[in-house]
Amino acid sequence: MTSFFRGKVSFALKLIFLLLLGSVLVTLTQSALAQGEYVIAGFLAITIILLALTYLSKISIPLKFFLPGILLLVAFVLSPILFTVTMSGYNYKTGNIISKQEAIEQIKNRGFEPDAEGTSFEIKIGRYQNQEAILVSDPLNKAYFISTETDRVPLLASDLTINEFDVAESAPNFEILSDAQMAKADELYSLKRFKYQDEYFIALEGFEIGIVSRQVLDFDEATDQFKNIITGEIYVDNGRGNYAIEGQPELFLEPGWRAPIWFENYTKLFTDERLRGPLLSVFIWTVTFASLSVLTTFALGLLLALALNKPIRGRRVYRSILILPYAMPSIMSILIWGGMFNTEFGAINNLLGTDIAWFQNALFAKFAIILVNLWLGFPYFYLVSSGALQAIPSELLEAAAIDGANPRQIFRQITLPLLLQILSPLLIASFAFNFNNFNLIYLLTGGGPRAELDGELAGATDILISFTYKIAFGSSVQDLGLASAISLVIFILVASISMYGIRKSKVLESFQ
Amino acid sequence: MTKKRYGVAGVIAAAAIAVSGLVVPSAQAANEIVVWADGERGPNLVKVLKEKGDWVAGYTVTVKSFSNFDALKDAFDKATSASGPDIVMGANDWVPTGAKSGKLAPITLTSAVKARFTSGQFFDLTYKGKLYGVPVDVNNVAMIYNTNLVTTAPKSFGEMVNFYKANKASKGLKAGLCVAGGGMSWGAHSVFSALGADAYQFDSRGNIVYNRSFNGTTFGKNVRTYLLDGKKSNGFFPATDAGCKDNFLDGKVPYAIIGNWEWKDYVAKGFTMNLMPVPGVNATKPGKMFGSVSGALLTTFAADHGVEAGAKSLLVNFFASTDGQVRYQKVEGRPPAEKGAALDATVSAAQRGFGAAASLSSIPQIGAFLNNNAGGANYWDSAPAFWTAVLVDGKDPVVEGNKLAAIWRANTTAGKSDL
Repeated sequence: MTSFFRGKVSFALKLIFLLLLGSVLVTLTQSALAQGEYVIAGFLAITIILLALTYLSKISIPLKFFLPGILLLVAFVLSPILFTVTMSGYNYKTGNIISKQEAIEQIKNRGFEPDAEGTSFEIKIGRYQNQEAILVSDPLNKAYFISTETDRVPLLASDLTINEFDVAESAPNFEILSDAQMAKADELYSLKRFKYQDEYFIALEGFEIGIVSRQVLDFDEATDQFKNIITGEIYVDNGRGNYAIEGQPELFLEPGWRAPIWFENYTKLFTDERLRGPLLSVFIWTVTFASLSVLTTFALGLLLALALNKPIRGRRVYRSILILPYAMPSIMSILIWGGMFNTEFGAINNLLGTDIAWFQNALFAKFAIILVNLWLGFPYFYLVSSGALQAIPSELLEAAAIDGANPRQIFRQITLPLLLQILSPLLIASFAFNFNNFNLIYLLTGGGPRAELDGELAGATDILISFTYKIAFGSSVQDLGLASAISLVIFILVASISMYGIRKSKVLESFQ
Repeated sequence: MTKKRYGVAGVIAAAAIAVSGLVVPSAQAANEIVVWADGERGPNLVKVLKEKGDWVAGYTVTVKSFSNFDALKDAFDKATSASGPDIVMGANDWVPTGAKSGKLAPITLTSAVKARFTSGQFFDLTYKGKLYGVPVDVNNVAMIYNTNLVTTAPKSFGEMVNFYKANKASKGLKAGLCVAGGGMSWGAHSVFSALGADAYQFDSRGNIVYNRSFNGTTFGKNVRTYLLDGKKSNGFFPATDAGCKDNFLDGKVPYAIIGNWEWKDYVAKGFTMNLMPVPGVNATKPGKMFGSVSGALLTTFAADHGVEAGAKSLLVNFFASTDGQVRYQKVEGRPPAEKGAALDATVSAAQRGFGAAASLSSIPQIGAFLNNNAGGANYWDSAPAFWTAVLVDGKDPVVEGNKLAAIWRANTTAGKSDL
């Protein structure tokens, strides 16, 4: 068997695997490059080199085992964290999504206005005297001309081929582009401003129509300013991702760009009255929810484990049944529970003979959430508690019994402390998981009930992560920068609480 | 690394590049216009474009369909220049955010093209004076009544409530009027309006009044009179849309608000399309429904892809033309936005019925006001919250009505700058 893994066959298999993996990674690199995602392309390129070096050389044997994990950790854990940290320092929201250069281009493109009459002409695309040009027809006035970027050449109708709609089909010295040529020259012609009169020009609105317009906004690269040519207003970079008139911050041009605002998103959490209030109540409920979830699931799981730790008839059947809620996808369970709590046709109201609006009342909604989470979570603690109970030496319990301890004393003085020592890391992990238990909240109550008519931002059952989601994606204005800042605060909170728990329980001491 | 291994590494690298070259996704072709649409519109567009594909000579049009409208919205929110479409078939309330974020590009239409649509339809797709697409579908709801339960069209809101109360037990009615299409905010606007609460106000000349809202006290009193029995709901109008469609189709609800995209379900069950606006508490003032349009919206990505002129031509030649809309709505089945297409013989009676109901009493859907949350909540959140507060939680309708009026006034005032 050993020789199989060391022989030529294994080398050939390794080569084939590396070839396939390399192909996928090179494909992804090319795709990333094509989309202008240079950081991702760079990471993928480095990954390819590292994989080749590690698995085709003997640089480091341990690295052969660690490298996949390290690469995945960088790609899917460290990078998102880094991106979140970076974006939390940016004004990154609806209206401030693109880069500054893209924003400048778009403001320039939008910075025109059609003439007051909304004049438009039928046009043909082509070339005139080696320049890009349009053959313009004004069927109403039976006027025709050729327009280039710099000149406007009047034409006589008698010199032209004109169709039944009084549109010129051809003109002397005007070379009309074929369909294929037009498609190829789309970008070139779309950007052109063809001469009309005074400050007005003709711009393409498709290949058949030209609109008379004039430029209103002019960009001065040297001063980094936009100027309204008509009114003389100057728009300067306001340092927050928009060009705005100085002294009138509400008058700004769109679109804006994502711009660094450093710690403003963090200070907003404490200074913005609309955020500060809900954030505190949401934080309190998050801690309460996570604590109650851990406590109830652990208590029920342990109780069942203790009950089934004794030889009773049908123990295997009971054990199988108890694991069922854990075996079902949690999303399905949550949706089913959501239906069962329905006021009108839910099974719970039907059984109780009540018409409780479970998700419209804050207390009932919170109770429902804890109950559903108990259903979802107790099998896990039942399983781990069962395992942990087996690990407690029976001699200890027997010795205590011989010394006269009753079962309750044995549980409180011996079993529970030992269990807690074993299960502490899992309890802490469960707390951290529930602290960010987005699925349950989102699918069961959506964070509600919320008193929208009283202007409340957060719902009664919103936890920090669902509140963050609402800020980031919950309305037409998506504030991704602020949501990143809240995410980071959550990360610090969970990490701090977990570290405190780990230190207190001294669970890591055995690893030192 | 030994020389042999270097050689192997080289071979692997070369082979990997060669193999990957075979599967590299091709970039958008120079003469390809990419249109994004939802799971219903997309396949129908494909059918129509297959039937006649030369709307813009020299270009091919590729349609990418998403499983549903939310998936399309989500994808468009995340789209970048490299991945985004040239045209997206979206809702009118995508326009303010799309334009603000630099994803939608303005288009200027000739007066001849503009004349094919109503000014209200363009209003829906305009942001800060610029138009961002062309109207394609008319989206509206209308009230349908079941002639097996009621023989004639109701003339007032009170008449419907009286019918419900008188027949609730004998006919086993589960509700009097419910919202089957459009949800408790968009779909239910005509109920708000029938009871005296329009989302925003117009003066006698049809101009928006930015600093005024409906009378919360009058509205609250109407809610108390028609929808409550003491502090509890009288059952006439449920606070949610759950089960409404099924109950109506089962003959357990006499009046329902339905969407124009689902008329086929009702026809299939044998219902005649008796469509009308929700009658008001005052018989002469029916409730106004949102008469909005979905549009084919031009994106800024079209310019990045070098197909801006082609995309604009496609918008005008296909999406905004009579021929294009007739062909498309023949398979899509929604009321066409273009005037010529709306008059075409192929447009079904049901499609016409919705159009007629909308023309009797509708209000433009103005995203700048409805999406605004300067008042503490936007229209979409505050509207269903009102029904819950009053019909479920038993709160005072006058107090809640005044809160709602204040919120909508603040949103309208703040939204003015986005017009």
